[in-house]
Amino acid sequence: MLQVRDLVVVLSGDDGDVRVLDGVSLELPAGVVTDVIGPSGSGKTTLLRALARLLPDMAGSLELDGVAASVIPGSQWRTAVALLPQKPAIVGGSVRDNLLLPWTLKVRHGAAPPDDTALRAALDRVALDVALDRDASRLSVGQQARVALVRTLLTRPRVLLLDEPDAALDELSAAAVSELTRDFAENGGAVVRVRHHRSDDIAHRRLRLVGGSLAEAGEVAS
Amino acid sequence: MTEAAGGVVAIGWFQLLLATGFVIFVGVVSIRLSLGITKDLAIATVRTYVQLLALGFILRWVFGINSPWLVVGIILLMVVFAARILVTRSPDAPKGIFSSAFVSMALTGFIVTFAVTGVIVQVEPWYLPQYVIPLAGMVIGNSMTGIALSLERVFADMDAREGELLALTALGATPWEAAHGSIRLALRAGLIPTINSMAAAGLVFIPGMMAGQILAGADPVTATGYQIVVMLMVAAATAMGSVVALLLTYRRRFSADGVFIEKGFRAEK
Repeated sequence: MLQVRDLVVVLSGDDGDVRVLDGVSLELPAGVVTDVIGPSGSGKTTLLRALARLLPDMAGSLELDGVAASVIPGSQWRTAVALLPQKPAIVGGSVRDNLLLPWTLKVRHGAAPPDDTALRAALDRVALDVALDRDASRLSVGQQARVALVRTLLTRPRVLLLDEPDAALDELSAAAVSELTRDFAENGGAVVRVRHHRSDDIAHRRLRLVGGSLAEAGEVAS
Repeated sequence: MTEAAGGVVAIGWFQLLLATGFVIFVGVVSIRLSLGITKDLAIATVRTYVQLLALGFILRWVFGINSPWLVVGIILLMVVFAARILVTRSPDAPKGIFSSAFVSMALTGFIVTFAVTGVIVQVEPWYLPQYVIPLAGMVIGNSMTGIALSLERVFADMDAREGELLALTALGATPWEAAHGSIRLALRAGLIPTINSMAAAGLVFIPGMMAGQILAGADPVTATGYQIVVMLMVAAATAMGSVVALLLTYRRRFSADGVFIEKGFRAEK
């Protein structure tokens, strides 16, 4: 579904320029969950941001279903290739306001936002038992992370990019998030997860990012 | 100096020296108490003398020549100076905002000044320097302060909220949608001093222009009319200037693809 060729990202650091991604090529088929592992600072987050076209500057080519990224406007691309940053971004207002935020944007103009029943059902799936009217800024970090995940999933992207989705979660919520991720892939989505801590058994393959290049880290049978 | 019609008491060199005596007194206190403001105070005093005396002589010359080109040229020069000050006062702003600052100041400066002199006060001829230059100075000076506050705030706030901007952009937000919260906040920040001074006018202080006219012997009620026009004009100019400046500059912090350029990605440090 998502074709990536020769991604190069150069960041200027204190000791000169660093090629964080040095010609990364990758294919993300529908229905497949890919885990990216690697040491801290190896560029895993940068890779996710590159796939979502969320870097100010990069080289290489991206294609979604055979259509080159260069002919798709950035905001349109990002609705299909959705990145969930590691740090959940909660805006002022209630849980409902946060979940409906994507439908206040021009890119979804005319699309019908989900109703309360759909929102409630989505929260239940990540084991989040909070009222829709609850002030979102008063939620715990783990709860906010799940609100942000549900918000992204409700927009129905084609490709889901998760940056350490369970870093702030307890075992139970982490398991719920894993299950939701698996469902997303089984329904035809492609998933990339940057992972550090836990392992679960939903990934179809694992790639290791070292020195700006990706290498197979061992197939995982599913 | 010629005496105004209202019979202003003229200030001569001796009076100026007396007034300087106050500053010298403060300077002595500063040295005694090691306050460390003596140098700044001395420089500021000298600047006040030089700049205002120069202004007085230039204005006298301009009023004598009475040429529309000269008036327009002087306003343009004020705009250039204001735009340069704006750039140095906005350290968080992206490079190259001089042209945006210049355009926003020039637009509001000319539109608001000539709307007041031409439509409200209806001076004859339209460029009458005695009216146009002081009013333009007030418009440009005040909108400069507002614009500086707005620009300073919008870029600082976007930096502070870069995580939120990233998340919003990831959800499909355009740069305008991502920056909107910061722009609103910045506009408020730019307008607050003006709104505060409007609220306090007449209660806490006599506004500068009215004070000047009263000292010059004008009827206080006539002076009030002018002051109200000036305050509204300043408020409008500040708001207009800030809006234009924000609209012209916020996009510079985003890439062509609509991504906020975070601190770590900037070539300039």
